[in-house]
Amino acid sequence: MQRRKHHASFGGLWSLTGGQRLRYSCAVAATALSNACMLGAPVIAGHALDVVTEGDFAHALWPLARLTSWLAGGEHVVAYLVVSAVAAVLLVGVDGLLMYLRGRWAAVASEALARRVRDALFLRLHNLPAAFFDDADTGDLVQRCSSDVETVRLFLSSQVVQIGRSLLLVAVMAPLLFMRDARLAALGMCLMPFLLAGAILFFSRVRRRFQIADEAEGALTAVLQENLAGIRVVRAFARQEHEIERFGVRNRAFRDNLYRVNRLEAVYWGLSDFFCMSQIGIVLIAGGMFLAAGSITVGGLFVFVSLVSQVIWPVRRLGEVLTDAGKALVALGRVNHILEAQEESREPTPSIERASGHIVFEEVRAGYKADRAAVVDFSVRIPAGQTVGIVGPPGCGKSTLVRLLLRLYPIHSGRILVDGMDARDVDRRWLRDQVGVVMQDPFLYSRTIAENLRVGRPDAADDEIAAAAREAAIADAIDGFPAGYQTRVGERGATLSGGQRQRLALARALLKDPPILVLDDSLSAVDTGTERRILEALAHRRGRHTTLVIAHRLSSVRDADRILVLERGRLVQDGVHEDLAAAPGPYRRLCEIQGLLDDAIRRDVAGAASTGQTGARNG
Amino acid sequence: MAEMDAFDPQLADVNAGDGFNEDAASAGLQPRLWRRLFGYVFVYKRDLVLLGLVAVATALVEAAFPLIAKGVVDDVEASGANAAFALWGLLYLACNLVMAGAVGALIWLSGKIEAFASHDIRAEAFANLQRLSFSYYDRRPTGWLMARLTADCNRLTDILAWAFLDVVWGLTMMLGIAGAMLVMNWRLALVAFVVVPVVGWVSAKFRKRILASARQVRSTNSLITGAYNESIMGVLTTKAFVREKADARDFGKLTKTMYRASVRNLLLAAIYVPIVLLLAALATNLTLVAGGTMLHAGALGIGTLIAFMMLARHFFDPVESIGHWFAEMQMAQAAAERVLSLIDATPEVRDSEQVAQVLAAGQTHSRPPGVAADGGPKRITRIELRGVGFAYEGAKPVLSNIDLGAEMNETIAIVGPTGGGKSTLVNIICRFYEPTTGQVLLDGRDYRERSLHWLQSNLGVVLQNAHVFSGTIRDNIRYGRLTASEEEIEWSAKLAGAHDFIIDMERGYDTEVGEGGGRLSAGQKQLVSFARAILAEPQILVMDEATSSVDTETELKIQQGLKFVLQGRISFVIAHRLSTIRGATRIVVVDGGRIVESGDHATLLTKDGHYAALYRQQSLDEATRRWEAKGEE
Repeated sequence: MQRRKHHASFGGLWSLTGGQRLRYSCAVAATALSNACMLGAPVIAGHALDVVTEGDFAHALWPLARLTSWLAGGEHVVAYLVVSAVAAVLLVGVDGLLMYLRGRWAAVASEALARRVRDALFLRLHNLPAAFFDDADTGDLVQRCSSDVETVRLFLSSQVVQIGRSLLLVAVMAPLLFMRDARLAALGMCLMPFLLAGAILFFSRVRRRFQIADEAEGALTAVLQENLAGIRVVRAFARQEHEIERFGVRNRAFRDNLYRVNRLEAVYWGLSDFFCMSQIGIVLIAGGMFLAAGSITVGGLFVFVSLVSQVIWPVRRLGEVLTDAGKALVALGRVNHILEAQEESREPTPSIERASGHIVFEEVRAGYKADRAAVVDFSVRIPAGQTVGIVGPPGCGKSTLVRLLLRLYPIHSGRILVDGMDARDVDRRWLRDQVGVVMQDPFLYSRTIAENLRVGRPDAADDEIAAAAREAAIADAIDGFPAGYQTRVGERGATLSGGQRQRLALARALLKDPPILVLDDSLSAVDTGTERRILEALAHRRGRHTTLVIAHRLSSVRDADRILVLERGRLVQDGVHEDLAAAPGPYRRLCEIQGLLDDAIRRDVAGAASTGQTGARNG
Repeated sequence: MAEMDAFDPQLADVNAGDGFNEDAASAGLQPRLWRRLFGYVFVYKRDLVLLGLVAVATALVEAAFPLIAKGVVDDVEASGANAAFALWGLLYLACNLVMAGAVGALIWLSGKIEAFASHDIRAEAFANLQRLSFSYYDRRPTGWLMARLTADCNRLTDILAWAFLDVVWGLTMMLGIAGAMLVMNWRLALVAFVVVPVVGWVSAKFRKRILASARQVRSTNSLITGAYNESIMGVLTTKAFVREKADARDFGKLTKTMYRASVRNLLLAAIYVPIVLLLAALATNLTLVAGGTMLHAGALGIGTLIAFMMLARHFFDPVESIGHWFAEMQMAQAAAERVLSLIDATPEVRDSEQVAQVLAAGQTHSRPPGVAADGGPKRITRIELRGVGFAYEGAKPVLSNIDLGAEMNETIAIVGPTGGGKSTLVNIICRFYEPTTGQVLLDGRDYRERSLHWLQSNLGVVLQNAHVFSGTIRDNIRYGRLTASEEEIEWSAKLAGAHDFIIDMERGYDTEVGEGGGRLSAGQKQLVSFARAILAEPQILVMDEATSSVDTETELKIQQGLKFVLQGRISFVIAHRLSTIRGATRIVVVDGGRIVESGDHATLLTKDGHYAALYRQQSLDEATRRWEAKGEE
């Protein structure tokens, strides 16, 4: 994983909007026009008020006056009123249309971008090398993909528009007012900078408080999660009172923090309301003076009061929105961390569709960390169709071999050949298609059992699925579920045991019918009787796949064509059970311990029999 | 919060399901639900009354501003430069101060009600969750329960606090404005009101749709989060099965749905807002024409007209928010029902009424020594299961006809294949479930006649999947007995074979174990939970595969202490380890929900039946494990 920090700049945001810039530009243009219309309506009304108070057309808007004269055949005041009202309503109508277009364009553009980012993230996550996920925390990655994308989306869809709208509103309003009366215009906007600065100051200062409240909520959720996850322990020790008290502490802390934040908000909104209304009040009282002095008309006063009270509220919001926008840049940087990570390389797909399953490891050396090799000088040839058992203590490199074969992790030196082709020179997907792997702790998708089984072969028929399930000795368990093969994995009431999960994963791999089948300690949670049934079923398939069985139990590998014994990443023994058991070495040690135990059991039973007899005699 | 949801893929399903239910549940308002929920707010009566009063005051002051405008204009018209500007300015300032204070008070009070009511609902729901039986939890994933206490709870109190505020404020303001307009000029007022029903109708139509599509956005979003989560958790499997393309295709469908739902949601809002604005403009301009005509005829002052036009514009402000809350209440009913059902759920296993009465009466006077709070003896010397059977509702029995007795100082080992009913058996002994047939007798008395709390405080249980809480190792062990001293904690850790690994850790007993004990291995978690059970000094000790993940060497250490631990108690042990089983007083083999064999180790081996076969298999595993342990050295 790259540890390089991903800084996002406004440049990064700009490049993100590629393909949607025309729509965004149109949205901005529509916003500007819509603002003009919106502020135009009170202007028309103001002139109409002047016309009606003065009783003449001295203050009439020229086009409307012409229209009135043409319609009514003269300077008819009431007709001018009607024309003005119709014009104003039409203007608001046009404004509505523009608002709709702006909303539409902004919505389509931002949602299309968000969709693109989501798809890109998902694809990228799939194409990243497995090592990327070793270092990463799932919760953190999911958060980058969900809430960080949401933050960016919100910024693109509503915050950009809001910021643009507020700025354009001021830009449209200012000339309208200044053309009328510069002094009153200046008075009418004098508090706006303070309002904006105050909002920015407030929101950046209280951000910490909001964080504390969020953290308190997080702590509450954590206690809740802990309690519910461990509810059986709580009950087992009758600790309900103690838990209620513990939850109570967090619950109260969250309540008090929430209340504190709400109080801060109360103070802020009260104060900023006061500022906003004061700004309108200044216009009203000063405007009244100007009106008395005759420098503006009553209609002009109406225009001033109307425009200022329409623009002041968005300006107040601007401070809040601008503060929020800072978060979008941080979020974008976190998203880019995934989008810019190095993907797995791509190689050509071989012409043969299905490999025969001939595997060669040549002097393979590999490890997860550079300083410690998990596999050293590993060389082995496995002919197609052979069943190979692999045993060895934990951490000896058994599972690493599987991961190397699948090219989930790179090898440092040597090479792995599949059907004579270097695994590094063929497409990973082709390679993985050749292998059916069952892991110790298998992952099942939260879909139905049938869908989980079909993962390996999407076109499998129902009876093929059932056959694979029978071979893996899981068919009875599935039939026992109320919904059978349509049961959703992990759904309420249908939780699977470890052994059932392993057997499902085995059925999934068998259904895939791959040239190479790998069981990576995948029967560990299955009881011995079931294991025997599975091994018998696998014996029937002998020769159909090259099979690698990694196991802890001797019983799982005893019948293999060949057994490999690993210790500390090295191959220390290679042969059939009889030979290995005869030669001195770790494998024989295993057999001996087991033999001794068998003897012990025999003795135990014999002893028990005699004491039993004694007991019987005594009784 | 949203992030919490994200980590549980199961929750994605639950969320999606709820999303669909909500449309069905939003058919009409159910006053019953809201009356009950409002009860949680009504606790804060004083704040509520104050809130109502302040909301009325705010609305009235807000309606008064245009009247000041009218006053200024009329005054200037009448007296020109001699108008009382200072007076008007002071009046305006006074109104503004009242208004600012009132707005602050509104948010303050509503914020308080929101914070406190949600606290109370959560506390009550949590307390009930602690009472509910295992069976309740069997059917509900943790994530689902969490969403009820977090997201649902927040949403409901959001409605309770802010809807009340907005509705009272909005209605008062509309009434205030209407009153002012009617008093100034009733004819002109009626003209302005023409569009009111239209606005109401449009709002009702749109609000619900907007909320419904917002819901769809939310539920699709949680599906997307679930998909990300799954793709990260299952990355190796996805790669091994070359599912990249198919998964991306499925995911593409989700993001397409998301795109459509989001755009639809935004478009609805983009249509709705302009329509309301247009209607408001219609009202203002109708006033302009009618009022202007009157003014022209000399029947109306210019100040009145200006005030009218301002009032007409403001009149529609509350319509939107009232419509919003009405729709939100309809949509949130499903959430209300879920939360209330959680508060109302009654535990399946609970004290009988007689026991509850005795306990309630007993609180006032102390019991003689040797007598528990429920009036029964404190000591348990014998447990007997008589014909015990258990079945989940409508399913075939998990256990049938179990007869089993155990005395103090005895250890009963329970063995058998997985799924045979062993865990259910010990769960019944612990009274986590009650038998559906037969009885469990404690010294001859059915345990249903005893107090549940008394029995369970005398239990020491080590469960199959040892659960440890986040916090230090010390805290976790102390959970067995909250009053235990440091020495006692260490003593029990030594008996459990946990002491050595603990002091090897960097911070010893003060080591933080991480969420769900993530920083401990499975074996270490088992040791800690074993120590916890020992510390509890229980009369009944239950171990369900308690040391299955522990290495051989430690296992030996545990064996040494075990004799001492088992003394003076009745113990039930589910185990695979031969060593544990061999020492038991009696071994019962449970298969297919029945006891198929029982007796001591020697007797059962002689029989050469189920137990002997099991014994052989287990010894094989043990041999392998020992061999591997050697390889590791």
